Amino acid sequence: MAAPARSPFMPRHTGPRTALQIIEQVVKQTGAQGRGQTIDHVSAGDPLTAVTGIAVTAMATLSGLQRAAAAGQNLVVTYDPGFWSSSDSLDGVEGNALFIQKRDFVREHQMVVFNLHDHWRERVPDGLNEGMARTLGWTMPRSGAVFDIGETTLLALARDLQRKLGGHTMRVVGDPGLPVARVSMALGNAAQMPTIALLNGPADLVLAGYCREWEAVEYVQDMIASGSKKAMILLGEVLSVEPGMRFCADWLKTFITDLPIGHVPVGEGYWSPSA
Amino acid sequence: MQVRGWHRRGVIAGTGAMLAAPAIAHGLTVQAVLDRMKTRIGTAWFEGGVDHIVAGSADAPVTGVATVMMATFDALKAAVAHRLNFVITHEPTFWSHQDRIDQLQDDPLYRTKLAYIRDHGLTVFHFHDHWHAKKPIDGINFGMMRKMGWQTRMDAQNNRIFNLPPTSLKALVNQFRARLGDRTLRVIGKPDLPVTRVIASWGNCSSFPGIPYLDEADVLVIGEAQDWDLIAYAEDLVTAGRPKALIVLGHVLSEQWGMDYCADWLKTFVPEVPVRFLPIIQPYWNPADPVFEINTKV
Repeated sequence: MAAPARSPFMPRHTGPRTALQIIEQVVKQTGAQGRGQTIDHVSAGDPLTAVTGIAVTAMATLSGLQRAAAAGQNLVVTYDPGFWSSSDSLDGVEGNALFIQKRDFVREHQMVVFNLHDHWRERVPDGLNEGMARTLGWTMPRSGAVFDIGETTLLALARDLQRKLGGHTMRVVGDPGLPVARVSMALGNAAQMPTIALLNGPADLVLAGYCREWEAVEYVQDMIASGSKKAMILLGEVLSVEPGMRFCADWLKTFITDLPIGHVPVGEGYWSPSA
Repeated sequence: MQVRGWHRRGVIAGTGAMLAAPAIAHGLTVQAVLDRMKTRIGTAWFEGGVDHIVAGSADAPVTGVATVMMATFDALKAAVAHRLNFVITHEPTFWSHQDRIDQLQDDPLYRTKLAYIRDHGLTVFHFHDHWHAKKPIDGINFGMMRKMGWQTRMDAQNNRIFNLPPTSLKALVNQFRARLGDRTLRVIGKPDLPVTRVIASWGNCSSFPGIPYLDEADVLVIGEAQDWDLIAYAEDLVTAGRPKALIVLGHVLSEQWGMDYCADWLKTFVPEVPVRFLPIIQPYWNPADPVFEINTKV
């Protein structure tokens, strides 16, 4: 979308920038504009609000919003939704006490929540993959989508990821002693057919966020049971997305220099009795 | 390729096994078993769901029945090892709820798994919707209640709710670990939360009905949910200070003892052949406790 030409009769905007202006700038910078359907949208707040600072996060949880507000950052850029469904559908939650509490918190603190999901993935390279590679110290592949990480084992890699990403509830499918050198990423929601395609590619392992247990999880089990040397690690949605959104905060700083920008870590929501 | 080589051997072994199969005096077919199931499920049999013969044939003679949570390759191998050629599975065989195969025609694993089923004369029936629709109580719910030893704890008004002796969230979690052998369950909530009322939604549970379920009990127990819907809601509830918790068991372990009950149910009206529940492995391990249980023998 080209910006409309400024009318010579209109005064130049000199006030504080609005959320809408920042969002337009961010979307443009991804280079992924003009896509068709998208779930990227303002999910809460008045988009004409003047922005005091930007908080970038994996998922707009209540705790994340509270910390952003405490830091004076009223534009929240989030990968995953704040209202408990991928499209932030309000069907069924409008009379819900927790919904009202969260919505009113956003209003009271003059916050705006923007879901940056599709455009961040369609950026080249994929914003989540680049952020994960930076966090883990992996080199982005020159072509294709397979990361060459050097020879290790599945268990050693899982423990390394746990250390670097800070989680305790990761789940792993495969032989702990499996040699692993090539990794494909299916961060966030690892949908059935795309993940099956990655498993059939050259990678030894697919690093995923969330995946339905009766889809790619069963598929990789069956591959292993049929003699293939494959594995999958499910980091959980948030831990798989968080490095990409930390990177997003750094990326925003390269073209937004007039506002404070921070990353709000959410962390895995779970605890595990075995870890 | 290893897979291809195995496949060729599989074809030969399978053919031999079928030729060697003894004549079956009782004449029991897959269709006969299905017909008996239909008259005993307690509700009208309906079309339009996912229940169907995924592979094999309604006319196939039955040597034995295996009930499984999910027809993984491992589960099929176990059925063959037990000489049970009719596999009744609660979850899919071909990696989607509807067992969609239109995009899998050239998939090497699809071909290998289908060839294994054919070579060993198996018939696989997806038994999901009707087992949940069983009257007077959902077959999965009944089997899980039995496995947890909660028969006397069921709420009079709602058969998903169990009124337990007062305990803590942590103690309840340990009860699930012990009873189900669950090593990869995940929990949201304070470990010392007092717990008496538990609502169970075995298997998948989204924001709806999960959000209203959380209103009705101290703890909601589920198999799986998307991290950005019900899981996120439970996290926010806890942040907001509500005395609630969510236990996520993993899909397989949250439902599979419902198929143990299914075997017991089938035995009451399929006396001609052996009927057996074959538990499948939990798919995952946690890095704190690595194990490898998948049967890779091909």
